[in-house]
Amino acid sequence: MSGRRGSRISDDEINELISKLQALLPESSRRRSASRSSASKLLKETCSYIKSLHREVDDLSERLSGLMSTMDNDSPQAEIIRSLLR
Amino acid sequence: MASTSSSTTPAAAEVEERGRKRKRADGAGSTAAGGAEAQPSKWRTRREHEIYSSKLLEAIRLVRAGSSSSSGSGATRGRAVREAADRALAVAARGRTHWSRAILASRRRRFQAVRRARLRAPATPPSRHNAAASAAATGQGSSAPPLAEKARMLGWLVPGCRRLSFPTLLEETTDYIEALQMQVRTMAALAEALSAISANSSSGGAGSSNSSAA
Repeated sequence: MSGRRGSRISDDEINELISKLQALLPESSRRRSASRSSASKLLKETCSYIKSLHREVDDLSERLSGLMSTMDNDSPQAEIIRSLLR
Repeated sequence: MASTSSSTTPAAAEVEERGRKRKRADGAGSTAAGGAEAQPSKWRTRREHEIYSSKLLEAIRLVRAGSSSSSGSGATRGRAVREAADRALAVAARGRTHWSRAILASRRRRFQAVRRARLRAPATPPSRHNAAASAAATGQGSSAPPLAEKARMLGWLVPGCRRLSFPTLLEETTDYIEALQMQVRTMAALAEALSAISANSSSGGAGSSNSSAA
């Protein structure tokens, strides 16, 4: 996988991976000239983005655990949920 | 897609639409890329979203069943839901990425550590060790020092990626971010659906203390 050319990874591969990563970050901070901006800034944005995603998942987990009591009383509702999600 | 024309809150419809839009936008890209890489937009497909939704529902049911018998305080239940969601996400990755294996391994190791402490001497799981060692040997120092520091921070954030080489770390991060995005989408849709149901039932039936958090 990464050992194709021996132990040296070419810069091109790294740049490609970095641009793929950049494409995932929220578009509000993306500019046209961002391909030239430093990779370290991009990594920093990635770190804060992952942290915010973690926080969002935590909040949603809290919310879902509070809503779990809904499923207690109404077991047919679970079928409704499944059909909604499909 | 008649099933998605919803009588639920507009937020749920918006989440659905955003998911659909993403799928349409990436659908063209993935068919053009073909089988070049290992499914870069796997996390964006509607099918993956459905699979994860049902797995998530089952996992939450298990948590509910478990916590109803034992102590179910608010914070621990929330964390149990988070861990179940992460585990379901890792299973959905089908063991192809380091972060998913790390999530599953840490969970299993926690069980087995308790069990083995009672029975006999603990045996360290060799697979993760070998993977980390070989990855570190294939070349690590291809980045300048300040970059390496940011890369290390990233390695802390993504589970199980602390000792990976830089390119591998980037690949793992890309996959992990896409998976997290799907996780957020799915959990948000599930929460919207559940709160809509609770709103309906509380307005139709006896007044319960459930408040729909919009």
